Amino acid sequence: MDDRSTDSDPVTAGESSILDTLGEDVIRIVSPVSLCMLLVVLLVSSVSSTNDLSSSISSLFLSSTTTPTSFSSLNLLLLGSDSTWEEIKSALVTALSFVVVVTLLTFLLVLLFYFRCTNFLRIYMGISSLFVLSFLGGFISLLLISHFKIPIDPFTFAILLFNLSVVGVFAVFMPKFPISMNQGYLVAIGVLTAYWFTMLPEWTTWALLIAMSLYDLAAVLLPIGPLRLLVELAMSRNEEIPALVYEARPVDPQPGDRVRVWRERTDVRIEATENSTNSATVQTVQETRLAVSEEITAPLIEAFPQTGDRHLGTEEEEDGIGLGSSGAIKLGLGDFIFYSVLVGRAAMYDYMTVYACYLAIMAGLGVTLLLLAVYRKALPALPVSIMLGVVFYLLTRVLLEVFVVQCSSNLLMF
Amino acid sequence: MTVAAGVGYVLIALGPALSLLASVIAKKPFLILTLLSSTLFWLISLIILAGAWRAFLPVKSTELWPYSILILTSVGFQEGIRIGFWRLFKKMEDMLNAFADRVSKPRLFLTDKMLLALAGGLGHGLAHAVFFCLSLLTPAFGPATFYVDKCPSIPFFLISAIIALGFVIIHTFSMVIAFNGYTEGKRKDQIFVPFAHLIAALITLINLVPGGCNIGLPLLCIMAGTTLYYSWQLVWRRLTEHQTTRSSD
Repeated sequence: MDDRSTDSDPVTAGESSILDTLGEDVIRIVSPVSLCMLLVVLLVSSVSSTNDLSSSISSLFLSSTTTPTSFSSLNLLLLGSDSTWEEIKSALVTALSFVVVVTLLTFLLVLLFYFRCTNFLRIYMGISSLFVLSFLGGFISLLLISHFKIPIDPFTFAILLFNLSVVGVFAVFMPKFPISMNQGYLVAIGVLTAYWFTMLPEWTTWALLIAMSLYDLAAVLLPIGPLRLLVELAMSRNEEIPALVYEARPVDPQPGDRVRVWRERTDVRIEATENSTNSATVQTVQETRLAVSEEITAPLIEAFPQTGDRHLGTEEEEDGIGLGSSGAIKLGLGDFIFYSVLVGRAAMYDYMTVYACYLAIMAGLGVTLLLLAVYRKALPALPVSIMLGVVFYLLTRVLLEVFVVQCSSNLLMF
Repeated sequence: MTVAAGVGYVLIALGPALSLLASVIAKKPFLILTLLSSTLFWLISLIILAGAWRAFLPVKSTELWPYSILILTSVGFQEGIRIGFWRLFKKMEDMLNAFADRVSKPRLFLTDKMLLALAGGLGHGLAHAVFFCLSLLTPAFGPATFYVDKCPSIPFFLISAIIALGFVIIHTFSMVIAFNGYTEGKRKDQIFVPFAHLIAALITLINLVPGGCNIGLPLLCIMAGTTLYYSWQLVWRRLTEHQTTRSSD
């Protein structure tokens, strides 16, 4: 009788609508990514090493209301003051060498995995997380302490740092740790590494982002790509790869969840912070020569239900819009890091670019998740988001900023 | 002026939006996704407008007519996009209903559809506030403040925060009105939305006149209140009609 109507009444029906739970998975991935980006933006804007922000805003501000110098100031900001061609060349060389190193190391990882040296890999990753948390974390904490003039003595600092790093390593690698701590520490590692990356010079950062997204695309989708080989190896052996992967599981598991086994892919990257072959990346900040090894999990993972039945449970949905309500999406930590690097670098210019790039990255993530639901294979999470982010950054910087400043400085809004 | 003042400006511009977010939108994950995508949509429309107008900027004259053309074209473009947004919304509604049938859950309620419209409108409003107000607020966290020549009585940041507040309300609720109007096919609602948007944008033209912001700001707030009232009446009517049709079966 009234089942024919398209609008039902929630009060008399007493049922919940699909809008209540749809999209939970996506939000559980979007929130930590957003949190990581927010923390990096906050860090960058409070302790920034290059102070483009306030000077650029005030110059655009004043010039657009008075004289037509906004074009020239914009051009100046875009091209930079010193020899740009040199910067671009060194940036390209750095990015290329980085990609080559990453490729070699990923092949090394595939080899090690092939020869079943899993324990070695696990220990190595534990040590590398320890390095990131203690050295990078200590360095950035020192920056914060000196910037905000927090009164703390070295002994307390050392004890706190030691405790936090050790707990972090355990949280990331021990299987029985509470999932919220695991997730929190993964986000922390992502924030620290991303902040460190934003200290690279500007052109290098952009070249690196684009090169890594192209590498990601190739490594995951090409048949000879190392990441694809790794995934196929792991699938054929039905093993887990030791990895730094963010798992968007709910903090309290609901009863009756069917836990789908996700296959994940990683690659270990030893990052030589010396970059001795390319002196252009030497920063003014004195950093210890540490080999920070970290993993980037290039692709998003999709589900391979172990039991093989694809029937729809009452709570789950495997196809359609592709937003299942249980079963976790896994996103590699490298994706977190590179998204945050992009947003952090945008924060070094202006907040408008931050918002635009944030929206672009979210859109890219959404597109990737949709593709994941459609294609059901491991997919690279970097390319779409990074490309969209770069495009939006350029568009905002070139087109939008002038328009918006012009309108709002004349108090014209729509 | 200080961090406190900066935070204050942010809250003036975004206060109602944040409370809507916390109370209504954050509870349902799908609405957050709708909000993000509608914000993206508005940003893309703004970028297209900026691209179209790039060659003519910066406008050096202080006369009214270049700015009024700017406003007219921008508002016209955005209202045109709203119809496209509505078509997308219909498609999404169909997909959601098909999904609901498959999972054997009830189809979208009327309140669900209105919530989706609200989330979409709030996305537009948030995008406006973020790009027109928040992104320029960075100097407000510093030690000084800024006054525009044409409005020496109110700091620039406060004016832009109040205008952003007005537009957040207008965008949010005109989406609700527009979607209801297009669904029901009522001419009055369909015309109200572009009309209200245009009037509000034209009111900001008054700010070009020296001292005009003292008149423009209250008028804009009145416009926002009108939109709010209209949407309230519309939703009330729609819900009570729906209630009576259900109970009369």
